[in-house]
Amino acid sequence: MKMLAKGRILVVGGGIAGLTAAERLARAGAGVVLVEKSPYLGGRVARLHRYYPRMCPPRCGLEVLINNIRGFPHVETHLLTEVIDVKKASSGIHTVTLLKKPRRVMDTCTACGLCETACPAEKKTSFCSQAIKAIRGPGDWAHPATFWVDEGMCRGRDCSLCVQACPEQAVDLSQQPEETDLDVQGIIIATGTELYDASLIKEYGYGRLPGVITAMELESFFRPDGPAGGLPVHPATGEPLRRVAFIQCAGSRNANHLPYCSGYCCTVTLKQVEYLHQSLKDVQTWIFYQDIRTPGNREEYYRHVREEYRPVFIRGLPSSIKYRPETGELTVKCVDTLSRKEVRGRFDLVVLATGMAPPALPEFYGIERDGSGFFSGHIPCEPTELRRPGIWAAGSVQSPMDAEESVKSALAAVAQCLVKLRQQPAAFPALDQRKCDRCGRCVKECPYGACIPGSDGYPAADPGDCRGCGICQGGCPLLCINLPGYGSKKIEEVVDKVLTRGGPEMAILLFLCGNDAYPAWNSLIKQQKGKGLEGIMPMVVPCIGAVNAAWVSEALIGGLDGVMLAGCRPDQCHHAAGTSLAATRLDNLKETLTRMRLEPERVSLTQVTIDDSLKLFKEIQNFKSSLEKLGPNPFK
Amino acid sequence: MPPKVDPHKCDGCKGEKEAICMAICPGDLMYLNEDTLKAYCRSPRDCWDCMSCVKACPQGAIETRLPYQLGYYPAKLIPLMGSKRVSWTCIGQDDKVERFSYKNRND
Repeated sequence: MKMLAKGRILVVGGGIAGLTAAERLARAGAGVVLVEKSPYLGGRVARLHRYYPRMCPPRCGLEVLINNIRGFPHVETHLLTEVIDVKKASSGIHTVTLLKKPRRVMDTCTACGLCETACPAEKKTSFCSQAIKAIRGPGDWAHPATFWVDEGMCRGRDCSLCVQACPEQAVDLSQQPEETDLDVQGIIIATGTELYDASLIKEYGYGRLPGVITAMELESFFRPDGPAGGLPVHPATGEPLRRVAFIQCAGSRNANHLPYCSGYCCTVTLKQVEYLHQSLKDVQTWIFYQDIRTPGNREEYYRHVREEYRPVFIRGLPSSIKYRPETGELTVKCVDTLSRKEVRGRFDLVVLATGMAPPALPEFYGIERDGSGFFSGHIPCEPTELRRPGIWAAGSVQSPMDAEESVKSALAAVAQCLVKLRQQPAAFPALDQRKCDRCGRCVKECPYGACIPGSDGYPAADPGDCRGCGICQGGCPLLCINLPGYGSKKIEEVVDKVLTRGGPEMAILLFLCGNDAYPAWNSLIKQQKGKGLEGIMPMVVPCIGAVNAAWVSEALIGGLDGVMLAGCRPDQCHHAAGTSLAATRLDNLKETLTRMRLEPERVSLTQVTIDDSLKLFKEIQNFKSSLEKLGPNPFK
Repeated sequence: MPPKVDPHKCDGCKGEKEAICMAICPGDLMYLNEDTLKAYCRSPRDCWDCMSCVKACPQGAIETRLPYQLGYYPAKLIPLMGSKRVSWTCIGQDDKVERFSYKNRND
């Protein structure tokens, strides 16, 4: 098959986001290595009964993806495998180390289940789930249909009852973990995140009170592998459910738990109310909520559920849940904030609609997190890409997401990934090897990790990783890195021009960051028509971090009266480190100037946003008047 | 007299193997403190005051103390490198400041 996109991509996580990403990349012709930590593909979506908005069973969408993935020869799938290390091998290539844990059941398994019957190691994980065995199958639906041995529960080779029971001799308890190294061009992280641990909300008594469950557990009630084989009955009594309460924002929008709204839990509850009413005639449902948040077309679904099934909505979150062992009932106490009256209700089952907790991610990805602890890309320009190029995120590792949003974000990550694989060489820094002494400063300062020493020790930027900010050029002590169109030559020309012109007029060199300061400057000259801007020589740079301290020195030695740098605010710098690096360089220079008895006010760094043209004008005027007070540059 | 390193400005050149002052010193006197990663002169008596390290330091972190034969404190000699010009600021012990600048590169 002709490969349309060169290279190989590692997709970490086999949930809906990871599967979507892997399948689309494979269809575009890229080599894919799909790695999943658990023994089965499908992730959390595979454990759902239905997913909204179309209320289709998840197997429908997942099966298409998995079948396509199986059909491509250039997709490798590794289950029970974790990424334990990621290193940048050379420019554009990551070396990843995979740890494959033993499945201990070979592909010849026919999923007959005789081993599971024979297995003596049994455990019950929660009151509403069936007991599990150490060797077990995929449950209702999952891919692949092969059993696996849970290392934590297995009694080891002394027991070996499963080995004897297997008619296909597919169980091999001697398998050991394996480590492999792999070179990939890119990594898509679709590891998702865990749901918030409901037992941390003490007042709801999850894990302590029988009958308090999470929404994810209620989902399993409707599945053939659920506690009652798909019947919505009370797991303890076996009676059909009569009164069910849903508590929204369980651990969400609460400073003691998760401060944010996960966004999907309200729709999940509405969906589950619909399941309950469809399968049970006499069921009553109550929803305790703060606000029902169903943005976009989900509002219509909210209206549908509200009018069709008439659940009782109580605006307020319960303060306590009490359990009566004699009747097995749960009493929920709550203040209705609309009527300001206390409401009590008795229920068979209380369902906590928990949100998504921030993901636990290993250090080696170098992921930056937002205020809530989720992956943060450069929003809105590069929302899926890490600052380390070649690593993208998809799915709920980015923010709490439902299946639909996860698929969308996976498609966005794939699009970015394909751009990188088919990248055309763009303008990026040129290195003069005759001058370079391989000091490595550019390697350290590059905010994208795009600059990597080659086998000869000289730094080389990868065209796919480099974003042309020029921070390497700004930091180079030997001035041997030049961005096309921005190098030292241009500064020297300006200085020479001022020197040949001579005269007492004030001359100021103004460096403008191309992202924000330059557009602000442009609107400024239109507004001012050149008035008040005499003597200013503007010079555009891709990022203010691309200004080398030697250029500023050059201008001062050459007799210019002042040098001003206009960059973005540090938190808005498009290249993350540019403004702060420029500030450090200028501080160092100012200290030297002070020792030289040259006024440090002759250099200045100002921070502007794109619409700050007036601020820029004021800063320029202030700078000019302070220079007038200082008098001409003594080097003039 | 020894070159004096400003520990706040010196960043150990962030480099892998050798800081720039280490590479340029003709007497092999500049070293990095392995714990703090700041440069220091390992044998001040052997320094010839060539000032190569002062000019080469990308952070401007090194200062030369003049020998007493040339000028007592507060006399100073401070170079500043541009991209193709160099400047010298001489501050005499009588606080008189003189400045020179010239082109030292033609490419």
